[in-house]
Amino acid sequence: MIDRTSILKQPNKISYFNEVLKMQEYYQKSIIQGDLSHDLVWIGEHQLCYTIGRGGNYKNILFSFNQNKFNLYKVNRGGEVTCHMPGQIVVYLVFNLKNYKKDLNWFLRKIEQIIINTLNYFEIKGSTKRGYTGVWCDDKKIASIGIGCKRWVTIHGFALNIDCDLSNFNKIVPCGIEGCLMTKVSEFHPNLETFDVKRIVKKFIESEFNLNFVSE
Amino acid sequence: MSHEIFMPALSSTMTEGKIVEWLKNPGDKVERGESVLVVESDKADMDVESFQDGYLAAVLMPAGSTAPVGETIGIIVETEDEILSVQKNNKTVKIQSDENKKDIQLENKSEEVSVKSVKTAKREEPKNNKVEEKIIKNESQIDASTANSSSRVIASPKAKKLAAQNGVDLTKVRGSGPHGRIQAEDVLKAKGQPTAVPWIGEGDYSAGIINNQVAKSITKEIGNSFGKPGETVQFNTLQKAVNKNMESSLGVPCFRVGYSIKTQNLDNFYKKVKQNGVTMTAILAKAVAKTLNNHPQVNASFSENGIKYPDSINIAIAVAMEDGGLITPVLKDPSKTDLFELSREWKDLVKRSRSKQLDPDEYSTGTFTLSNLGMFGVDRFDAILPPGTGAILAIAASKPTVVANDNGSISVEKVMQVNLTADHRVIYGADGAAFLKELADLIENSPDELVT
Repeated sequence: MIDRTSILKQPNKISYFNEVLKMQEYYQKSIIQGDLSHDLVWIGEHQLCYTIGRGGNYKNILFSFNQNKFNLYKVNRGGEVTCHMPGQIVVYLVFNLKNYKKDLNWFLRKIEQIIINTLNYFEIKGSTKRGYTGVWCDDKKIASIGIGCKRWVTIHGFALNIDCDLSNFNKIVPCGIEGCLMTKVSEFHPNLETFDVKRIVKKFIESEFNLNFVSE
Repeated sequence: MSHEIFMPALSSTMTEGKIVEWLKNPGDKVERGESVLVVESDKADMDVESFQDGYLAAVLMPAGSTAPVGETIGIIVETEDEILSVQKNNKTVKIQSDENKKDIQLENKSEEVSVKSVKTAKREEPKNNKVEEKIIKNESQIDASTANSSSRVIASPKAKKLAAQNGVDLTKVRGSGPHGRIQAEDVLKAKGQPTAVPWIGEGDYSAGIINNQVAKSITKEIGNSFGKPGETVQFNTLQKAVNKNMESSLGVPCFRVGYSIKTQNLDNFYKKVKQNGVTMTAILAKAVAKTLNNHPQVNASFSENGIKYPDSINIAIAVAMEDGGLITPVLKDPSKTDLFELSREWKDLVKRSRSKQLDPDEYSTGTFTLSNLGMFGVDRFDAILPPGTGAILAIAASKPTVVANDNGSISVEKVMQVNLTADHRVIYGADGAAFLKELADLIENSPDELVT
């Protein structure tokens, strides 16, 4: 078997989106250039911001972003507009898929499985919807996914709502799906801390991708 | 020289992809490795990079449109002078589709966009239709332009060769390939020859049913010689290396085991995927790699310390060099790569091996070797085991063969003979036989499984 190792970064503070994006791009570039043989997993939370994929439809942003009162970033990932904020776990996977499988669909399905396994651990039933990438609890969306890729090295990842202010999603059409309602883990388990969920997410990333975490 | 940009396969199940954005405009300079456009499938974006330095000459599909995997979506040329001639032949489409423009207009008015005015998710459907319509329109434009106006003929190398051999005037042939590109079949059709698509083999020559005329011309061209009569020509470096490798096999106790494989289903499958740029070599490499997954012994090799089981299954495939010698570019772990990507990798490897630009890692890491002479109509042969590996598979042409069936009836089926040469210190007769049986079963009954 190929030895898959990944650097794990778990900042304690709430991070700014653009700083972490720069870091991801730096790692992606290093892996592409062959300067780095480890993948990168980043697990953290963001200050309130909105991001939209390159193919995203600006109709789905319902606030005036000309004034950019709200932080809006157009980013190099797939998918429509979404929202990040404290209380939502964001996971970035900078992976060299040449060491796994050169198949983005496979990668998306793996990510969905990690989220479902995590929810399942806390006895929440999450499921996927055909044609709507992401993870759902009944008809409400609990996790969003968006990936970018260059020479089979991925960037970005997923966001799982734990205990966050869902009203922030009212300013957009989440993932471009009209009428899409959002939910969060705390609606099922009010006492759960993001810290506990992060620990389990990490565990399932490790097992689903069959990798070992190392310190840098 | 112009190079096509194809719609890439982002996953094994993807049949078409959406062009999100062209990062370059027609006429822009591009460097090797620079991102030219962004393609999206599902929630994943992929940057498509240029494989060479040059200029983006034409954009054949606009941003926002959807194209099937393997379709030509843009053209890159090597020099600035070529831009015009390519643009003349291929109507460059607007970089942005009207659909997107509308979005942008709306963007500016976004303050007025209320929840109410955003249509339901259903709007996806009409949008797609529109895009499709647009594609069809684009295609017909391009078709028309290549069919009548151009003086420059767009044809595959194989078609050009066949046309020259058969005296067919390419300017009068209607191409059935992408954007009116003339394919080998079109030339044969124009010549009035049977269009049974010669189906096996790589690159320049056809195999399968080889009609005599074509076969003759192949012999004429390929029967090359590196010296004149009476001369003794020194071996070149590559020939010397091959000699050494071949001689070392004399110290290996080899045995051979053969199998006849029916190829009707494979044949049909190949016809289906060929239009997406899939090569027969990629199909065979993948079939072998998939089968080796279940037969690790056949992927193993002899070493002083015992039987060595490699980390991965890397399929080396022999490619003859024009100036003598041969090289074995390696497809790494083909069972993990989808067929479209694999075919592209293989074409790239062949191209770079002909121009001697392979890294050692790309020709010396094979764990199992394939040698395919099917394109010459060979009915059977055996291969010499390359050092450091346990087995090599010789693949002959698929030919219509009279087959006696178990129930006593007789039928004609296309049959391809394969012949495994193996190191008996590592691989025993039963191992080889079991491997071949499973390989035959895969090729005969479920070639469709090879896509993923």
